[in-house]
Amino acid sequence: MKTYTFHVTGTHCASCKILIEDVLNDQSFIAKSQVNLKKETVTIETESDKDAEEIAQLLTSKIKPNGYTLSIEKIVQEKKSDDVIWKAIPIGLVFLILFFILQKSGILNLGIGGATTPATSFIIGLIASVSSCLAIVGGLVLSLSAKVAQDDGGSTKKPFILFHAGRLIGFALLGGLLGLIGKALGINFLFSAILGLIASAVMILLGLNLLGVFKKSKLTLPTHIFSFFRKVEHATFAPILIGVGTFFLPCGFTQSMQVAALSSGSFMSGLLIMFSFALGTLPMLALLSFGSVSFAHSKHAPLFFKSAGVVVIGLGIFAFLAGLAGIGIINPLFNI
Amino acid sequence: MNKTASIILTLALVVGIGIVFIGGSKSKDSANSVSGQSAQNVEIKDGVQYITIDAKAGYSPKVSTAKAGIQTKLIVKTNGTYDCSASLVIRSLGYQKILPQTGEDTIDIGTPTAGQPLQGVCGMGMYNFLINFS
Repeated sequence: MKTYTFHVTGTHCASCKILIEDVLNDQSFIAKSQVNLKKETVTIETESDKDAEEIAQLLTSKIKPNGYTLSIEKIVQEKKSDDVIWKAIPIGLVFLILFFILQKSGILNLGIGGATTPATSFIIGLIASVSSCLAIVGGLVLSLSAKVAQDDGGSTKKPFILFHAGRLIGFALLGGLLGLIGKALGINFLFSAILGLIASAVMILLGLNLLGVFKKSKLTLPTHIFSFFRKVEHATFAPILIGVGTFFLPCGFTQSMQVAALSSGSFMSGLLIMFSFALGTLPMLALLSFGSVSFAHSKHAPLFFKSAGVVVIGLGIFAFLAGLAGIGIINPLFNI
Repeated sequence: MNKTASIILTLALVVGIGIVFIGGSKSKDSANSVSGQSAQNVEIKDGVQYITIDAKAGYSPKVSTAKAGIQTKLIVKTNGTYDCSASLVIRSLGYQKILPQTGEDTIDIGTPTAGQPLQGVCGMGMYNFLINFS
């Protein structure tokens, strides 16, 4: 049994530790592995007779797809990240300004009168996906997608497909249920408001994480939070559950459609209304999540993740303060 | 990009956000005070005061003034309203409801006292209106 210590590059988050240890422990010749994030080293115990150089190469080939490299000598990385943040902040702010100008412009206030049919709910979905609801639903999708793409190096699209499938099917079934049960079921304001506050807190947290604040200040979140996000990345159930959960997030458009489904009077009509609405929001949300994946592959990945972090923090703060006003804790600050 | 230039640009953008938020709502207010404050949305009929608020992409007028000490009803009108303003919350009355897409909802607010304004917000908290009583 021999013990080797290698330098590791590419460890940008607390979940990297778990990921690397998982992969290394899967190798038959490794008895034990331990990642030290602070020193950026990996210590392994092995029964292999190969020399250190060979082992480093072999293990690198296993974790390279996730963006990590092992080496005997410490690789000095160029300190580029500091410049990236100064590019990312203005880019993020420009997106935030454009978003709020769009809300103020009144372009989105199209008059849609008459009865709610699947066709009108599809159009309302299209509008909702760029409306103020984007602050909370889109912000959550962007922050989770960027986080998953950053951790995974954009290697998998599976959680995103599951999320969108969960959202579409969940909206359809819950819409059908609303149509079936009718007026008996009310959607609780406080419940959806609290859910909205939790979602905005998650956005702010993930945004700070995308910016690398936690890493720089040596302030790390408890590991179990990250293992939760890691489960989100790899499990089947969690992305579907989050997709279904967006049904309850506070969004005026969603709530209006829920009322329309409620008064539609039958399972099929409620299902069609909510499904077409979710279908209408799909293009924008799909753009956010699959856009994150393709950016994770490009050379602009660090800039994208940091800009996304700025946007997500901005939207998160906005949604959080608005949510507090919604449940009457603070006076309303915004009137966009 | 130069770091100093970036910092300056960032500050400019922060000011920009401030203008979008504060400047925009100010001009909205003044527009309302011209058209809305002239008691167009407040009328007294058979001893009952009716205050009308339009709910669509926000509430209009945003600030209204009505008489205190008289029985008062609030009428919220929707017209193809699907956005947040359809889910109305009036904390002080314990009122919360998702309004019909098109129609009117009449809310009895009893007899208001002077100096106790009535505030309504939408469910997500991004739109609000205020009625002052004097």
